[in-house]
Amino acid sequence: MRTLIIIPAYNEANNISTVIKDLKENYPSYDYVIINDGSTDRTEDICRENGYPCINLPINLGIGGAVQTGYKYALENGYDVAVQMDGDGQHDPAFLEGMIKLIENDEAEAVIGSRFVEKEGFQSSATRRFGIGFLSILGKILTGVRLKDITSGYRMVNRKLIQIYANDYPSDYPEPEALVIAAIYGCKIKEYPVIMKERLGGSSSINLKRSVYYMIKVSIAMMIRRLSLGFRRAKK
Amino acid sequence: MIPQTLRITLCIGVIVYFILILRYLKLKMLELKYTLIWLVAGLIMGVMVFFPELLTRFIRLLGIESNMNGLFILAIAFCIMVLMTLTSIASRTSMKMRTMIQEVAMLEKRVRELETENVSLDNENDHKENKGTETV
Repeated sequence: MRTLIIIPAYNEANNISTVIKDLKENYPSYDYVIINDGSTDRTEDICRENGYPCINLPINLGIGGAVQTGYKYALENGYDVAVQMDGDGQHDPAFLEGMIKLIENDEAEAVIGSRFVEKEGFQSSATRRFGIGFLSILGKILTGVRLKDITSGYRMVNRKLIQIYANDYPSDYPEPEALVIAAIYGCKIKEYPVIMKERLGGSSSINLKRSVYYMIKVSIAMMIRRLSLGFRRAKK
Repeated sequence: MIPQTLRITLCIGVIVYFILILRYLKLKMLELKYTLIWLVAGLIMGVMVFFPELLTRFIRLLGIESNMNGLFILAIAFCIMVLMTLTSIASRTSMKMRTMIQEVAMLEKRVRELETENVSLDNENDHKENKGTETV
């Protein structure tokens, strides 16, 4: 299966070459593309100097717009599987093989790299786990699918979802909403246990101040998604 | 009843309002699509100036006792409506912009790759030519 790894990067000059070197040396069978989301540091220069395949967004679009660019690129270039992987070294590509197997064997159409299945590795803070738990239950109520690590940015989708996401991907903290979309389109979603590392450098895009906004925005977005897509499906 | 002088002032106000909008439209500083709501509002204001009884009757119909209160509510409702249109225009514009930025970025990647391909092709050609001259 032709697999594309989408690596959204915003000001990841310190981490990006470590991540890419690891991919190139240990996992050469996967194609990858860096989506440089209008970084203000040397991310773009580093990609150019080393000849990394890279799409440079001229203006910062946020994680949603960046990842969607990756899906559009995957669609245009006929990839069967697309993986989202952060550019800060949190996600270990060692799990890719296991995740791809699930898609190859038709056991799943979307696979989430989940921290909470086997509860190993970096688990993040208690308050964050509470927030994730809340969103996870909300997701279950809205779609009937319980996903423990609903906010994980480490995920893999098949061709069908590449198509869906290329046309319609949420902006602004998109992860849980994107899974609601997948579930409503009737895709089988599976969680695959992964061990996440703490980020190599830089800070999370979500700080304490924003977390209230995050919870409210994401919850409402998920509910509205359920409503609008529900209507659309009813029309068909 | 509204006194005569007030009606004249209001009438002048409505005329100035229309002149401003039409001027902006003529100078192409506004798109007609987005000013339709302003033009309709101007027409309603004009009607209200010439037939104020219509307004009072409408306000009574809504169940509002005082004329001024009714007028304020109508004005505020109109403002909210305009704001909602503006928000929707801004959202649509940002969505369009997002798509455009993505397309531009993907094109930039293709152009960059084509350029490097061309450069390497040119180098090969140069190489061949040099070889040719050497053999001669």
